[in-house]
Amino acid sequence: MKYIKILSVILLLYTASAGILFDVPRLPILNETIRLLYFHVPMWFTMIFLLLLSSINAYRFISTKNINYHFKSNNYAHVGVYFGVLGIISGMIWANYTWGTYWTNDPKLNGSAIGLLIYFGYFILTKSIDDESKRAKVSSVYNVFAFSMLIPLIFILPRLTDSLHPGSGGNPGFNVYDLNEQLRIVFYPAVIGFICLGLWIADIKHKTQKLNNN
Amino acid sequence: MINKILSILYKDFKIEISQSHLFFSVGLYVVSSIYIIYISYQPTGILNLEHWVSIFWIIILFSSISAVSKSFFQESGNRNYYYYYVLSPDELIISKLIYNFLFIVFVTFLTFILFSFLLGNFINSYSFFISLLLIGSLSISNCLTLISAIGHQVKNNSILISILSFPVIIPILILLIKLSKISSSEFSWNLIQDDIYLLILLNIILIVLTKVLFSFLWRN
Repeated sequence: MKYIKILSVILLLYTASAGILFDVPRLPILNETIRLLYFHVPMWFTMIFLLLLSSINAYRFISTKNINYHFKSNNYAHVGVYFGVLGIISGMIWANYTWGTYWTNDPKLNGSAIGLLIYFGYFILTKSIDDESKRAKVSSVYNVFAFSMLIPLIFILPRLTDSLHPGSGGNPGFNVYDLNEQLRIVFYPAVIGFICLGLWIADIKHKTQKLNNN
Repeated sequence: MINKILSILYKDFKIEISQSHLFFSVGLYVVSSIYIIYISYQPTGILNLEHWVSIFWIIILFSSISAVSKSFFQESGNRNYYYYYVLSPDELIISKLIYNFLFIVFVTFLTFILFSFLLGNFINSYSFFISLLLIGSLSISNCLTLISAIGHQVKNNSILISILSFPVIIPILILLIKLSKISSSEFSWNLIQDDIYLLILLNIILIVLTKVLFSFLWRN
């Protein structure tokens, strides 16, 4: 955990300074907003990573009945949703400058909004059961079920249709930027840094929950 | 195993016949909501394919939620203990899946018949659309059965079942709505190939998950 914290601080300091100061490719319409790649895309990577951890922990809970796994899975889901909300807000601000509107009917946008709705439903479910062991069991089952429906929603359905979003339907996306050395040297550290930050926050939440339970 | 599944199905149908008000209440729900739409579109009727398809699937979604959510309601606490000794969870959930599938097939076809009768019909390739309705009811029942089992564990479950099932069912509905729009034109396998494969894949995932997760959920 100690190395994750150090790594997260160093990489995020690097991302914040290099992401704003380094040279970026000049593309029409995108202009300087291309720098959002360093902040918006890592949010989604972190969200998916944390939600994956959450559903793995939920599955470990239902197979071992160790209540700690349930707390872990709940915390990972909470932090993952924070990152998802940040991703949606940053994307909306970006969309206002490039597409001219905050929200459009686009498969990727719909997928991410519905994905967040799934997890809000999960939080309501965890709040609505009083008995602790029952709550842990029921919400873990729903977590595994919901995560496996999230995969087709985010990764498969948007690829079947055209989309305004970079990365599909002929719009410039990852494959174009990936060729660009300047973006890559900031983007990959940013992804790792934000994932480490997410793990750190989840760890703090887990520790405070342990103290509260005692 | 098959004998046990059949006997649970037989028991469910018997309960359904003896408590026929539950069965008819879902039917009446469908009829009255379609009639409200008929009245609100009155002067011209539905002229737009998008309106027709979206209202059609929304009605099916809501009535199947109310149909499926009662499938676990009916079981009293004592009967659950009895099942616990007699049945394996797989047998119980498979019989519930089949039962819900049959019920939703009834709801979909009732909706389709009333829709064509009152609101007009945009469908060109009937055989494709009817098989789509069958696949659609299968996917909706696969999706909602586990959610209703989850909702059965919670007290004020009627709201919770709809909250939990809406986001999960949306990928399936997106595909079904897309395919039903296609079925208003000439049938062509090339147009629907990818979506049909994806729908079948989703169904396999849902059935496997329901079977695996229900055994954990049921053990008290």
